Amino acid sequence: MPYREKTAWLSLLAMVVTFGPYFTMIATRALPSEPMPNLRQLDLLAVTAIVQVLILGVGHLVLWRASTQEARMPLDERDQAIKRRSVSSAYYVLIAGMILVGSVMPFNSRGWTIINAALFMIIAAEVVHYGVVVFSYRRQA
Amino acid sequence: MMEGSISNRMRILRFHNGEMSQAELGQRIGVTRQTIAAIEAGKYSPSLEAAFRIAHVFNVPLVEVFQWDVNATH
Repeated sequence: MPYREKTAWLSLLAMVVTFGPYFTMIATRALPSEPMPNLRQLDLLAVTAIVQVLILGVGHLVLWRASTQEARMPLDERDQAIKRRSVSSAYYVLIAGMILVGSVMPFNSRGWTIINAALFMIIAAEVVHYGVVVFSYRRQA
Repeated sequence: MMEGSISNRMRILRFHNGEMSQAELGQRIGVTRQTIAAIEAGKYSPSLEAAFRIAHVFNVPLVEVFQWDVNATH
């Protein structure tokens, strides 16, 4: 499996195990609704972000040490083509999400609802980004 | 649009060049071993530049490495 595909799997995994529980808690309203800045909500987001950074940091270090030579190689033309495809797919998700969050939601939502919706669209775009990377490498394997 | 796909003789040419490995060929043209494997398997079509580089490594004209197969489809 190419190094770039392994890092894409790692990023997907990190997002699922951190933002999966985060958005599940948000959707099930596990946190009490408090006025802004709602420190409990802020704490949960901070913990989620820290855990994600830790998983990515340790994971990248392990993958880099396991295939140092490949990790040091610059992207070749196939890697660049896959990157272009994945970024362009993610762009459409992100732009659609931002239009929804920035132009529609302010009329009927506010506070953390808008913040979480924006976060969700960013994560969705990232999932599409890394998902397309993994799919492309698998298809050409 | 005209139907067809690109086929190649890279495996044979590697064999005739001292059983050159995919990694070595990749290193010589500046791509990864996995990219060479994908090209060989017909799952990735290289750029014109990479195709010329491959032909140059084997010291043969481009058409001896890559052919347009009108009967085949992806």
